[in-house]
Amino acid sequence: MTDGDDHGGDADDGGDADDHGDDTDDHGGRLARVRAGTEARALTALAVLTSLTLVVAFYYPTATVLVEAVVVDGAVTLGVFADVLTDPFYFGELARLLSGEPPGVVARALLSPDRRLGIVGFTAYQAVLSTVASVALGLPAAYLLARFEFPGRKTLRSLTIVPFVLPSIMVGVGFVATFGQNGTLNAALSALGLPPVDLMFTLEAVVIAHAFYNAPLVARVTTAAWESVDASAVETARSLGAGPVRAFVDVVAPQVYPAVLTGAALTFVFTFGTFPIVLALGGFELATVEVFVYRLVRDLNYAEAAALAVVELVVSLAVLLAYLRYEARNATSTRGARPLPRRSLVPPSLSPRELLPRAGLAAYGVVAAVVFLAPIASMILASVTGGDGALTLDNYRFLVERQQTGAAFQVRPWPAIRNSLAFAGAATLLALPMGVVVAVLTTRRYRGRTLVDAAAMAPLAVSGIIVGLGLLRGLVFGVEIAGWRIAAGGAVAIVVAHAVAGYPFVVRTVSPGLSGLDRSLVESARALGASRARVIRDVELPLVWPAVVAGAAFAFAISIGEFTSTVVLATGADAYTMPVAIERFIGRRLGPATAMGVVLLVVTGLSFVVIERLGGEHRGL
Amino acid sequence: MNTVASDPDGLAEGSGDSDPVAVELDGVTKRYGDATAVGDVSLRVREGEFFTLVGPSGCGKTTTLRLIAGFEDPSAGTVRFAGESVAGVPPEDRDVGVVFQSYALFPHMTVGENVAYGLNFADPPEGVTRDERVADLLDLVDLPDAADRDPESLSGGQQQRVAMARALAPGPDVLLLDEPMSALDARLRERLRAQVKRIQSELGITTIYVTHDQEEALAVSDRVAVMNDGTPEQVAPPRTVYREPATRFVAEFVGDNNVFSGEVRDAPADGEFAVAVDDADETLRVGTDESDTRPEPGDRADFCVRPEHLRVAGDGDPSATRDADATRDGTENALRATVASAEFLGETTRVTLDWGDRELLVRTVDPLDGAVTVSFDPGDAHVIEVEGENDR
Repeated sequence: MTDGDDHGGDADDGGDADDHGDDTDDHGGRLARVRAGTEARALTALAVLTSLTLVVAFYYPTATVLVEAVVVDGAVTLGVFADVLTDPFYFGELARLLSGEPPGVVARALLSPDRRLGIVGFTAYQAVLSTVASVALGLPAAYLLARFEFPGRKTLRSLTIVPFVLPSIMVGVGFVATFGQNGTLNAALSALGLPPVDLMFTLEAVVIAHAFYNAPLVARVTTAAWESVDASAVETARSLGAGPVRAFVDVVAPQVYPAVLTGAALTFVFTFGTFPIVLALGGFELATVEVFVYRLVRDLNYAEAAALAVVELVVSLAVLLAYLRYEARNATSTRGARPLPRRSLVPPSLSPRELLPRAGLAAYGVVAAVVFLAPIASMILASVTGGDGALTLDNYRFLVERQQTGAAFQVRPWPAIRNSLAFAGAATLLALPMGVVVAVLTTRRYRGRTLVDAAAMAPLAVSGIIVGLGLLRGLVFGVEIAGWRIAAGGAVAIVVAHAVAGYPFVVRTVSPGLSGLDRSLVESARALGASRARVIRDVELPLVWPAVVAGAAFAFAISIGEFTSTVVLATGADAYTMPVAIERFIGRRLGPATAMGVVLLVVTGLSFVVIERLGGEHRGL
Repeated sequence: MNTVASDPDGLAEGSGDSDPVAVELDGVTKRYGDATAVGDVSLRVREGEFFTLVGPSGCGKTTTLRLIAGFEDPSAGTVRFAGESVAGVPPEDRDVGVVFQSYALFPHMTVGENVAYGLNFADPPEGVTRDERVADLLDLVDLPDAADRDPESLSGGQQQRVAMARALAPGPDVLLLDEPMSALDARLRERLRAQVKRIQSELGITTIYVTHDQEEALAVSDRVAVMNDGTPEQVAPPRTVYREPATRFVAEFVGDNNVFSGEVRDAPADGEFAVAVDDADETLRVGTDESDTRPEPGDRADFCVRPEHLRVAGDGDPSATRDADATRDGTENALRATVASAEFLGETTRVTLDWGDRELLVRTVDPLDGAVTVSFDPGDAHVIEVEGENDR
């Protein structure tokens, strides 16, 4: 609406169908009203159901574990916390500050070369490095995707979603196959007559692997923002006398930078809670908080594990909340009427101004190929290479033999594939309605919306180990409520955990679509007689359907690759998944693990194509 | 304070004054935080009336419409449909049809499905099937063959008509149109507004129309509410609004006008009094109606003269001499001015003149240049407001 007097404020809500008076209306009108009331209640019921699921599957189990940080032997104490906070093992030099040493001394210690960061400090440190690397690797991709036209651009843009949903343990295997002692990198180096390098169990490998995951995410959100910059804004700046660089700094950068920040914040949260990557590439030598929580849980030291997990949660939630607040403040739905024109990748002239950015992109292309393609290619290559370097199918034969002759306690491939698919399907069916309901709730305007948003997004920030442990003790071992013992199998618990892990991504894909809808579409439908709930069914959902499908694909992929809580919950031989199988194999030899990795890659890829076919293009994240 | 004080709604002047009131706003206020979008609006729209809310951007007209539709709840005051308060009644139960500026056609439905959508919640008239109803409505808006088409394949004007058909299909009591033409080009807008008017009078449906275009408002409406800063400054039939603007804002907003302020010099005699105009060292004679507050010397007065009531003659023109004679008789005002600029509009030319420290707008057929004499009959001046010394 060009008219300035159109004020915001979606004052309506699902409940307002109930509170109008009893008009002296005909019978039909009354019936319609009863129906409208039922529909409004259905929406409320769905919201309540979603909240209940979250409480049962996430908040309650997580709370039972976290509470152990402050309740020891039935008494409330901050002792465990105090121990963790003042232990240099966790907090490094910072612990001395927390245990009361003067800041000056601590600051000097922090600046000294032999400073200790402690586990938390190291985790933050590697997360910052990973974030920097991801942004550095993601921005050129965004520049390429947003500003250049070339064959396969759209495909490449869709492919940026792939790394993010690849199973982390599989990526770990791919990185071992690339950067390990006998990996393709060293093979390439020795072929060139160069000395080998060993990146395994180094910070570098972990940071690169994190960049593999998160740089495409940064690229995605940045590209979207860049594409929505209105060309006429840039043209206006140019016409007012700004040069191309100045116009970029003044007009484009301010619109793109919030997206970069979004990508960075999410990257930090994801890498702060990293687990499988570090487990596969760093081992306990490079233990992050999450890895150490896992170790403490294995050692049955629940109190300390819980205290550490709370610390992790506080850091991640603080970043997420800061990000959500920032996002809420800067939410602009101005969609570029006309996006910036794309340039050809082939330089139109040989002037430095045309050549320089393209040369930069070419160099970037080489780096990107090494980071993004090499791990996958190496994994595939390693899976068909024997110990002597010759091509062989031995690794796959091993899988088949293991399937046929494996003992009951051994991990067999077929149940892993079957479980992965079944869990992912079930988790998607659960995550989808949850995500859609939360998306509907978070796109409405009301007081405390940010809080609802944050509460719904909390699963992104909470340690998967803790969720897994909570579900294990709460659901699998069973809880006693009023004399009834409620327990669920490991499989159910895994599905629930996966759904909880996946539904935030459904929310993240669906809510931009919902909030981007023309408000007058909803209002037209209401003026025509549709209740609020009916409008969701008839108008909003059909219009954001591609986003819903994309969300389903996300949920499915997250589930199929989920490792952290699965490894805790898959106690029995009947509930392990493909990622768990890979982890079991990797403990012995790389070969079978890479073969299993390829199987996982194929299954994930196929499922993704199927879901993609059913839906449309990706939006949002 | 103004000339229509005895009938603030202008209800008596509209057509069919015996018709019952369809929509009533009673002291309706809408605040967003500290900002007041609509302030204490009271309006009555009669059944079958074409009622227009017109005003500049930000005047609260769209918010007023949204309060009627039920998309917003008033912060204070009551909206009544046929005498009954609709407080708390959601939009879907108000029996309104709404057409938005963006048309808001559902892009995932065909034109026919769009028009039929409201029939999910309301039955078509007795003896008419759903499909027949859709066909009837598409006929009404001159799009008989569009039912199977994709809304996005239609032109803007066609989409606007589909939106009309969709809003009308369930047989609403009130049709609400929110700037339905402002996305269209001028010529199409003129054609469509005639069609909207025809459909409205054919169906006899109560219609509330929001526009920023005062010309459009005058062309289609039975009555117009000219809004400014969240309140209607005048509610009256288009002719009254044009000829007898109640406030300075209305005088300046509706059509071209020359609004003068000055000090009253003498008490009215023979239906006339003299005003010493600010910004120009001259005294002009102004006609007054019996209904006006009787001005006294020393009062401040605002009055206006439409450009079409200003006669212009170039110096040395024979008619200039005649006008000068009339002025000496005291029957005409004569103003010596110079041409500042001219806009050629086709039928006429709009000429801006410099007179004293201010400008005058006149319309002429022939081009003008240099020094001119402008004259007008005191009876063609409309007194907007007279403010006594004690009021200030």
